[in-house]
Amino acid sequence: MSHAVVTAPKPESRLTLNQARVGSDVQIRIVDGPACQRLRDLGFCENLQVRKLSGGRNLICSICGTRLAISRELAEQVLVAPVA
Amino acid sequence: MSESLPALIALVGNPNVGKTTLFNALTGSSQKVGNYAGVTVAVKSGETYTPHGNKVRVLDLPGCYSLNANSLDEQVAVDALNGQLKGESVPDLVVCVVDSSSLERQLPLTLQVLELGLPCVMALNMVDVAEKSGLRLDPVKLSEELGIPVIPMQANAGKGLVQLKQTFRAPLPPVRESSWLHHHEDSDKARRAFIDQICEVAARRPDAHQLTVSDRIDTYLLHPVYGWLAFAGILFTVFWAIFSFAKIPMGWIEAGQGAFGNWVSTLIPAGDLQSLIVDGIIGGVGGVIVFLPQIVLLFLFIGLLESSGYMARAAFLMDSIMAKAGLSGKAFLPLFSSYACAIPGVMATRTIDSPKERLVTIFVAPWMSCSARLPVYFLIVPMLLSEKEGSWKQALILFGIYILGTASAFVIARLLRGRLGPDDKPNHFLLELPPYRKPQWSYIFRHVADRAWAFVGKAGTIILGLSILLWALSTYPKSDSESPTEQLEHSAMGRIGFVIEPVVKPLGFDGRVGTSILTSFAAREVFNTSMAIIFNVEETDDEVETRIHIREKIAQAKWPDGRPLFTPLSLVSLLVFYIYAMQCLPTSAVVARESGSWKWAIGQFLFMSGFAYVASLIVFQVGRMLGFS
Repeated sequence: MSHAVVTAPKPESRLTLNQARVGSDVQIRIVDGPACQRLRDLGFCENLQVRKLSGGRNLICSICGTRLAISRELAEQVLVAPVA
Repeated sequence: MSESLPALIALVGNPNVGKTTLFNALTGSSQKVGNYAGVTVAVKSGETYTPHGNKVRVLDLPGCYSLNANSLDEQVAVDALNGQLKGESVPDLVVCVVDSSSLERQLPLTLQVLELGLPCVMALNMVDVAEKSGLRLDPVKLSEELGIPVIPMQANAGKGLVQLKQTFRAPLPPVRESSWLHHHEDSDKARRAFIDQICEVAARRPDAHQLTVSDRIDTYLLHPVYGWLAFAGILFTVFWAIFSFAKIPMGWIEAGQGAFGNWVSTLIPAGDLQSLIVDGIIGGVGGVIVFLPQIVLLFLFIGLLESSGYMARAAFLMDSIMAKAGLSGKAFLPLFSSYACAIPGVMATRTIDSPKERLVTIFVAPWMSCSARLPVYFLIVPMLLSEKEGSWKQALILFGIYILGTASAFVIARLLRGRLGPDDKPNHFLLELPPYRKPQWSYIFRHVADRAWAFVGKAGTIILGLSILLWALSTYPKSDSESPTEQLEHSAMGRIGFVIEPVVKPLGFDGRVGTSILTSFAAREVFNTSMAIIFNVEETDDEVETRIHIREKIAQAKWPDGRPLFTPLSLVSLLVFYIYAMQCLPTSAVVARESGSWKWAIGQFLFMSGFAYVASLIVFQVGRMLGFS
């Protein structure tokens, strides 16, 4: 069986915000989990761009010009894709 | 379209967007402003005038991220908008205050407010900050898209105020249909899509993410090593200033008070009246007023830290330590404020999302050594070392006192948090780190002046009253004896002391100290006043006693069998008692209000007082067994 020619774009790699590299810009793909409502209220919504500023016990990210510190459990519920 | 004039205006917005700054600018009042989410925890109300001279009431609501009411202060805001707040009607006009530098994040709340169907105006605050960050705002487009007036402003500089006030008149902006909800099932997605559409035309952000000055400062101040060094350095500076620098103005107050006492005693002939005024009133009130510089400094530093934006960083850093006590970084501000006074500390717990964590924080807050304990510490600590005030050894002991109170609070918090069990709904740590700003000096100074005035007011009322009462109790009934010691024993105070003595003797105190402790249950600093009045009976010359005098007097005090009353061990026991005892009526009242039941306040009072007694007892008895005296 011959290999199918890949025409569709490569499936993008999805990370949780925890896994994203410190200092990188990422775009929010999916916000899903028990606290997603709270995250959305804070501005963590699909398609917004985020820069992860620091990791650790709580991570700091910059979203729309505001720095927010959120816990790892919350960051786990945000799936992001790196921005080229 | 409403034809009537607006009578009630509510300011709504995310935390830390400048609602209170705007409120102060509108009403000319001086509510406390901090660069920290959740400084406004209760609704404040004030009055302003429209350009036509009509009076309107303005409500400053606590900040909220949404109208879903996740924490208590958000619930208050929601209630106010629905007119469910006690004594308030539904607002006639809502001013949505937004920080324009993060407009995208704040529009969901604006849309939610619009969906309530109330007339709305948007105050596009901090446009200067937004422009500096490269955001290109178009208020006209924004207004067209949202269908409400949009007023660009800089509330802290007073820019845009007149334009905003122009909207406070009939006809009020028409309530527009929430068209964005028509296309979608999910209201969140619907709002999101609408906001994307708005921002596309009205708020364009440069593509490249720019590292702001605040970001760069944060790389140091939140650094795992430098961040902690800076934190320790800041705390050390605060404490150093309070305990060392404050000595200078305190000296002036003491000198002034001495001179005043001398001057008064030359005016009034010796007798009961002179004794009442010089020993009772000037000595009693003065013994407390002398701590004014320290209280002013503590509030000044807390104001400075909040206003500059550092307080949020401290909460972020402290989160890992607070977690060990079963609390989160959000409990840091309430607990740190409690070093100044437990009352604002307990009030500030409203920003804590988890109700159980909030109760625990309220419960332990009075163990953070508050400024009212300082007079007592300053009286006792130098005696312990039998030296003058102000040495580094005393600073070390004071530091230890703070550590002991704080550590005990953490242990109890942890135990209590374990007993209360997990929350019904998991709460996660999240905190906005505001950009660093220049402190708003005028507000800080006004706030400090308010606190100082409240302290002086307390000295002029409660403490003045108690001073007169204590003086009377120690002077009457009069005995025929000339000896001051016999007079004291004969007086009402001496009799009370006699009754109390068996209770406090196991702690190493006699009836006189016991009476002083008893009188300080309404307010701890009264202890100094009581000691001054009780031990001053031996005083014959007209010199006004300062603390040095009280110390000299009580250092000579003896048990009836001739042993000195104050030994190092009994002094330590006394210190321990004051670290733990809950002796502040106003705090209990605030705890009852904030926890929603007197049970918590009474339980807290009984627990802390009982704990103080037992801790003192253990210190004194174990110390004696180990051969200390």
